[in-house]
Amino acid sequence: MKAAFDPVTLATPFFIVTVILEILLARFAKLDARYETRDTAVSLFMGLGSSLAGLLTAGGSFAAAVWIYEHHRLFTIPMAAVWAWVALFLLEDMTYYWFHRLSHERRFWWAAHVNHHSSQHYNLSTALRQTWTGGVAGTWLLWLPLSLLGFPPAMVAIQKGISLVYQYWIHTEAIRRLPRWFEAVFNTPSHHRVHHARNPRYLDRNYAGVLIVWDRLFGTFQPELDEEACRYGLVKNLGTFNIVRVAFHEWIGIAQDLARHPRHALGYLFGPPGWSHDGSRETSASLKAQWAAGQAKHDKLDVAA
Amino acid sequence: MSQAFLIQTAASAAAVAILVGLAAWAKIARPGAPLDEARALKLLGEDFPGRTIDELWVAVDGKGAMAKSGASALVLCEVGDGYVARQIPWAQALAASFKDGRITVNLADIGAPKAVIALAAWPPKPTKPHKDLAA
Repeated sequence: MKAAFDPVTLATPFFIVTVILEILLARFAKLDARYETRDTAVSLFMGLGSSLAGLLTAGGSFAAAVWIYEHHRLFTIPMAAVWAWVALFLLEDMTYYWFHRLSHERRFWWAAHVNHHSSQHYNLSTALRQTWTGGVAGTWLLWLPLSLLGFPPAMVAIQKGISLVYQYWIHTEAIRRLPRWFEAVFNTPSHHRVHHARNPRYLDRNYAGVLIVWDRLFGTFQPELDEEACRYGLVKNLGTFNIVRVAFHEWIGIAQDLARHPRHALGYLFGPPGWSHDGSRETSASLKAQWAAGQAKHDKLDVAA
Repeated sequence: MSQAFLIQTAASAAAVAILVGLAAWAKIARPGAPLDEARALKLLGEDFPGRTIDELWVAVDGKGAMAKSGASALVLCEVGDGYVARQIPWAQALAASFKDGRITVNLADIGAPKAVIALAAWPPKPTKPHKDLAA
């Protein structure tokens, strides 16, 4: 079930036209973009599959929001008031930040989000590489407090859609930097390139949806550095374009780990991605620590020289 | 299921097909020369910083490489216009099947089940002395 006014559905023709433009302009060397055919196919079919998979759980999640709003809301917030939209914009965007951070820092939710990061490319089609399992991962629960506060569920759904549409255009290498004031406040292509990078320095940074201020506030901001180009994809990139593996590989990995190490189930389910009971795997934190140690060694050698 | 939904889904699928066709026509994937030793070491260094490489074998077609690093094998193989790297036990690499000038390495990983690398022989003779990957 969707709100009658769905920004994502309305924006779909815009998505298609802009991907066409990015490809054509790159083809004629008017902008910087790279598209690999099979990678593009996976991204776009993941997007199509995501909208179909979303239908399976959208009814339930919307019904839960309506039930909370109808029976337990603390206030009645008018949908027509400008202040209500401003408040919702800020609260929804902060909710998105924490949803996104959770989706990167805990494996159960990473399993649903990982496929968005599985391309080694960063172009507008990457934005459409969306999850098939987000609904069953239950992250929609994080938005229920907004209905509890008293925002009508349709209003929340519309704001979520607006945020998703905003996040589409920042998946590009064609735009390098925007004016400083804009980069300071909003999520931009530059900030989001960092988020999609697998360089240790850039891991688990820039979780913002629309406003980058949440990352600045909660200590996860990392600017894109000219001296370190982003390398896109996963810490362990996928070796296949099989869309079923792309969609489900982390879930299958979790199931395998649970079967092999049932005594460590909680760690394999809710630990950070890469966690292992014997420390034999790498997490973002361990990769960043190794990188920092290497940098420190390098700096020491430079000083000695 | 409403007719409008079916039409919308069919139109989206058609648009996806057109966009994939356009991407294929545009030929704007990353330009990549076949791997040589220096580039293979650079790519391995990105995934395994600070590791010592005992021996390195670059695929004859430049589409992959295998390195021995202590008791581990570092496997690098081309996927699309990028590369994928994995670390496996050296014994697992030695057990790779060799046929028609290619080894097929079982990576035992759901996200990268196997790597196929064109090598003259397997296991090959030692070719290179120790190298340290940049940290």
